[in-house]
Amino acid sequence: MDPQLELKNVTKRFGGVAAVDGVTFAIGKGEILGVIGPNGAGKTTLLNCISGVYRLDDGDVRWQGASIAGLAPFRVARLGIGRTFQIVKPFTSMTVRENVVAGALFGSDEERPRLGAAFGRADSVLELVGLRSKADLPVSALTIPDRKRLEVARAVATRPKLLLLDEVMAGLNSVEIDDALEMVRAVHESGVTVVLIEHVMRVIVGVCARVVVLDVGRVLADGPPDVVLRDERVIQAYLGERYARRLRGS
Amino acid sequence: MIGMPASRTWNRIFVALAMAVIAYAVLAPLSSLDVLQSLGMPLLTDKLWFRLATITAMFVVMASAWNIIGGLTGYAAFGNVAFFGIGAYTVGMLITKARWPFLLALPLAPAAAAVFAVLIGLPLLRLRGHYFAVASLGVGVAVGELVQNVDFRGEPLFGGASGLFLPILAVPNRDLYFFYLMLAAAAVSIGVTWAVLRSRFGYGLIAIRENEEAAAVIGVNTTAYKVAAFALAAALTGLAGGVFAQWNVFIDQENSFPIGYNVEMILMALLGGTGTVFGPAAGAVVLQLLIQFLSGSLPITLQIPFVPDDAMPVLAQVVLGVLLTLVVVFAPRGVIDFFGGRSALSIAYLRRSLRETSI
Repeated sequence: MDPQLELKNVTKRFGGVAAVDGVTFAIGKGEILGVIGPNGAGKTTLLNCISGVYRLDDGDVRWQGASIAGLAPFRVARLGIGRTFQIVKPFTSMTVRENVVAGALFGSDEERPRLGAAFGRADSVLELVGLRSKADLPVSALTIPDRKRLEVARAVATRPKLLLLDEVMAGLNSVEIDDALEMVRAVHESGVTVVLIEHVMRVIVGVCARVVVLDVGRVLADGPPDVVLRDERVIQAYLGERYARRLRGS
Repeated sequence: MIGMPASRTWNRIFVALAMAVIAYAVLAPLSSLDVLQSLGMPLLTDKLWFRLATITAMFVVMASAWNIIGGLTGYAAFGNVAFFGIGAYTVGMLITKARWPFLLALPLAPAAAAVFAVLIGLPLLRLRGHYFAVASLGVGVAVGELVQNVDFRGEPLFGGASGLFLPILAVPNRDLYFFYLMLAAAAVSIGVTWAVLRSRFGYGLIAIRENEEAAAVIGVNTTAYKVAAFALAAALTGLAGGVFAQWNVFIDQENSFPIGYNVEMILMALLGGTGTVFGPAAGAVVLQLLIQFLSGSLPITLQIPFVPDDAMPVLAQVVLGVLLTLVVVFAPRGVIDFFGGRSALSIAYLRRSLRETSI
């Protein structure tokens, strides 16, 4: 597979602490990649490094062969890299549809629609994520799972080639997670490379063919979920040393 | 229109009412108020009517312009009077020093104000919330002081403390001429707001107001958009200043950079409803009439027992203050929220607003 996004030795320090410490891996075009790790592993920081919210202290981020390190977030978005926020940030004075229209009007530089076409685009995206029937509601009328859907819809409307989803399943119950997984699959099948940042393992196993595990800012493991999740270092990072020993049978 | 869908019936009623008011404003001066006189309505002398109507239109421009940066973009600019003054002095300088004709000088008033807004906007719009408000207030004060005090070769460059006297414009009916000119500026301001709210630009500004970080990651060039909104507000405010300069014939620091305007235009926008097309204009009309009424400038004056006449202007300030506090607390979305079928004025509405505005 073509590498679409390459991370090379990506490092971000806050004071003396390296939140992301020399992370290197590549994402292929059309992949659906999971990034997991315990709290504080640097998942969201890594995402912020890619989308231009943070400046790198070291290393490089390459998009389709060219460096995008140091670009402002809006420029990264215009290249076709969409993202969501773990804590959703809807435009609360707009209706559900208008939120998605805003995404459609901006986003990728390619094929920017006019206002009328943006409404059409918004409706098809709302259909895709299952919010079509709530298009005219104010954001305040949405449930938490629906707000997460809206966050995804607005990002999908920007016509991304790569979509970075930051914990879109966090706080959902198991039925809601299944619905959300269905939505992520639908988005992926529409031709978007997807990076799923998750805390919940089950989510990743369900949809991702490949998983990158982060711990204290470093890549701990990288491979198919069934292999990675049996990796002793991964179990140790997640469940602690004592549990890992017990699994080993000692 | 970005926002909640509104009921058609109420929209129609509101638009019809607005049309009636505008038609009256436009046609009344043509009738020389004969009709009003015959109807036995309180008579305004022509001069007074024109002065009041022109000032009201001027505030419609300023409140609508402020709405673009303060209401749509969410940046509480407290120094917009600087743009008014720059517009006034651009016209004043071009006419008195360069001998330009008024209509040639006027387009440069919005241009000069917009250029200034871009220059100060680039650094200032990096600040948020009250930091931006205070910094913009500082600029508003500083520009007025500079205009009065800058000397060039020992002479005050902009007329200094004695101000600038412009030649009186030779047109058949001056009062009517300037009233229609200011009314046109008001129509342009409202029209611009209307167009912005139906454009990519408008969606970008509201996205910035709602969440600047989210706006950036969907691809909005937030810096460029904020500066453009600021420049647009400045251009409209500068236009009002430019018309004012030739209308008033005399300009100085006091009448071109009145600090009070900063507050008044914001209060008008708040009273009417920020972020809407007609709200700030409606707020400007209502508040301006109220100010004139309470300060005794209207022929209909108020007589309150035990309050001497000369205390009325002071009382007017108190009433305004109380009124505006009530509006901000109980109707934070402005009076326009009661029109267009969005909300009905009720105890429940006031209680809900109180919950929204308190911590």
